[in-house]
Amino acid sequence: MKTDVLIIGGGPAGLSAAIETASRGLDVTIVDEASKLGGQLNQQTQALRPLPSVHEPMRGFELADKLIEQVKGFNVRPLLNHRVVGFYADGSAGITDEENVFPVKAKKIIVASGAAEKAVAFPKWTLPGIMTIGAAQTLINRDFVMPGREAVIVGSSDFAMETAIQLMDVGIRVKAIIEKQNGALAKEQEKVSELSRNGIPFYFNSFIREARGNGQVAQIDIELPDEVITLNVDLICMDGGRAPILDVFYQLGCSFGFQEELGGWVPQYSNTFQTDREDVFIAGNAAGISTQGPLLLTGMIAGISVSEELQAISPAEANEIRDAIWKELGLLECKEVYTGRVKHLENFTSPVLKDQFIS
Amino acid sequence: MNKLDKTTIICRCEEISCEEVEEVISNGGRTFDDVKRITRCGMGPCQAKICTSMVAEIIHQQTGLSPSEIPLPRMRMPLSPIKLETLATNSTSFSAVKSVLDEVELEEGKVR
Repeated sequence: MKTDVLIIGGGPAGLSAAIETASRGLDVTIVDEASKLGGQLNQQTQALRPLPSVHEPMRGFELADKLIEQVKGFNVRPLLNHRVVGFYADGSAGITDEENVFPVKAKKIIVASGAAEKAVAFPKWTLPGIMTIGAAQTLINRDFVMPGREAVIVGSSDFAMETAIQLMDVGIRVKAIIEKQNGALAKEQEKVSELSRNGIPFYFNSFIREARGNGQVAQIDIELPDEVITLNVDLICMDGGRAPILDVFYQLGCSFGFQEELGGWVPQYSNTFQTDREDVFIAGNAAGISTQGPLLLTGMIAGISVSEELQAISPAEANEIRDAIWKELGLLECKEVYTGRVKHLENFTSPVLKDQFIS
Repeated sequence: MNKLDKTTIICRCEEISCEEVEEVISNGGRTFDDVKRITRCGMGPCQAKICTSMVAEIIHQQTGLSPSEIPLPRMRMPLSPIKLETLATNSTSFSAVKSVLDEVELEEGKVR
């Protein structure tokens, strides 16, 4: 199979890159391992803000539906339930539909592989009933399954606070929020106050000492600064943060840099979202952990840059649009992340990990 | 990171404990791949997707190396588990399996 642009990942960033490229007449293929486009947006029932100015405020799954609808109007071929298993020597992607593996040769590749949640280890953390906050959110909003009845949340990021509220909304009793730092990490203070108003205790400078249970978590010991308390719970949601998914970039031989604010190891890229492999572009959480609005913008920048390279748009016009999107990115994105991103761009020519493939 | 006792599982696929990871580090291991080669940590179905950050954190705590000094593990094809039957397609227009040998570049008959 041949295509102009191969987009790996059909989440918000991949879809907005698809819209930018396909609307300029390019032939676009999106590969995604899920059975539906939209990625993590599909289970996000919370209101997303801030979104880029072209979108009115809406909830995650509404945004997914809107983007999918837009893509339908263009020459975009979605390969759903397909995944990339590796790359051939000639640069074509090896894609499987779980029955066969076939090569897809693309002029340009945009990798929007997203991010993975990090787990938090503590003694017996592998007991059933202990999961990441994203897993709990997926169970509630996508699968309509109650992951438990009495829960604790480990971590206090915006994402953790949002999920804690969603757990309460479906009738799960949130018994405590455990945070190892000395205050809540969430930037949206109103969510923290909403939880406090509902009488949920926040334990700071605290962590789980041990979980217990026979085939299922039943009890935990929480180490507070000056005592140890025991709670009976059947659900522990852990928030260890998120990190970009890198395996596709590694296979492609891209270089990497380390940027704490972007989630740790991140592929190195320039301000056109081009990696050091000329035919490979990057978008979304893979380019640094951010919120949904900015992710759309990174997808747009990658899409514009690919359109420019494939001469679907003039360099002057591409520069003008890109500058405007970068400005909006600076306004929408959390300051720390944006600063980290700018710092990351500066290291483009001096990556920490390079040519790591042949050792 | 939380306090881990020696039996805390780090790699859930291969059931590798914190103690086993620490032992590799005390013997000079400094990267994820060092731990992997000696213990099988990260060689299960998830292909190191869950334990990478935990092992890096333990290396950081034991040795004081900063996170940017602990390199990423090697990520090989296939990127996630796949049936051999699926991998060995009937196509003759391309090699069905990109083997480890394909990754080695030769220069005058010798590995570069």
